[in-house]
Amino acid sequence: MKLIKLLLSPIVFSIGFLTPLLAQLILATRTELSTPVAYGTALTISIAFGIIAQHRGSWLWVKDHE
Amino acid sequence: MSNATVNLNSMSESELDVLERKIAGKYMHKVPWGAVVWGIGNLIAWLALWPLVLMDIIPLWLGFILATLNVSLSYLPSHEAQHNIIAGKGQPLRWLNELVGHLSTIPLVLPYRVLRHTHYEHHSHTNDPQLDPDFNIHADSGWHFLWKSIMNRQPESGRSEAYPETLKRTGNEHMILDAVIYQTVYLTIMFTLAWSGYAIEAALLWWVPKQIAITYIEYYLSWAPHHPSKEQGRYADTRGFKSRLGNLLSMGMQYHIIHHLYPKIPLALTPAAYRELKPILQRRACNLGEL
Repeated sequence: MKLIKLLLSPIVFSIGFLTPLLAQLILATRTELSTPVAYGTALTISIAFGIIAQHRGSWLWVKDHE
Repeated sequence: MSNATVNLNSMSESELDVLERKIAGKYMHKVPWGAVVWGIGNLIAWLALWPLVLMDIIPLWLGFILATLNVSLSYLPSHEAQHNIIAGKGQPLRWLNELVGHLSTIPLVLPYRVLRHTHYEHHSHTNDPQLDPDFNIHADSGWHFLWKSIMNRQPESGRSEAYPETLKRTGNEHMILDAVIYQTVYLTIMFTLAWSGYAIEAALLWWVPKQIAITYIEYYLSWAPHHPSKEQGRYADTRGFKSRLGNLLSMGMQYHIIHHLYPKIPLALTPAAYRELKPILQRRACNLGEL
């Protein structure tokens, strides 16, 4: 159960999907960048969003009832 | 004033009930073959997009447009099955009803059993702030709906808890496992594709279309027909409305009032049923807008 909760968590989504998505978007638009730089940048940005989503319960910081 | 109107006005409530049910009955118990073909064909079309895009047979932008269309169209055939319109329990085509119900919502990553049980609760408690599982879609305006729709997709939103809570309340907690399995499989596929170098394709063939489709479906199936969501009761909780996009692009939801009154009427027949039932609905002071 803990493993499933972890798999469905925002942090895992940010590493599992947002990081490669952002990196591949960076590489598609900035072709001069190396793959490690693109993935490193993407990982930093994605993890930041993942931590916000994990701790705030919202990817966008704001919540509906606030 | 027409004879029909005069006759309706002179009818008692029970006579009106009998007439209403007699008219509605004409439109029920018909197998919606269009929904069967739509449900299975739409899934096949969406699945076919993956090799077509990944093998560069069609461009990604075209795949994205088609995928958005496919995912947006994937809910309604299952909705027909949820109400046993294709075939009820014990009928020869029951297997087809369940097949369409299960298959058609795969692109939305929504399990059939969860949808069916929560949807029944929506019908039983429409606009009830405590018991309607779709109540947190309600908003003051179209723009407010859009904002709420984004907020509802955040990890700790009330919306993300609404269906599990409904299943727990009705003793169907075991069905939460269906949703967990669906999400686990979906995320495993997305992560695998993304780390194999196909993140943009996965995003534009599934993730983004799913987000657009959920907004579109919730707007026309939940928000628009029940707005302003203040009334409860058989003839008050759902309204008729005229969509600027027309009946086809609003997915037939202008006539959703007919569906709430008689859920066994197939979607394709709700406009005809509405036209015949309209004088009765007017007599019952239903909110029919400009429809």
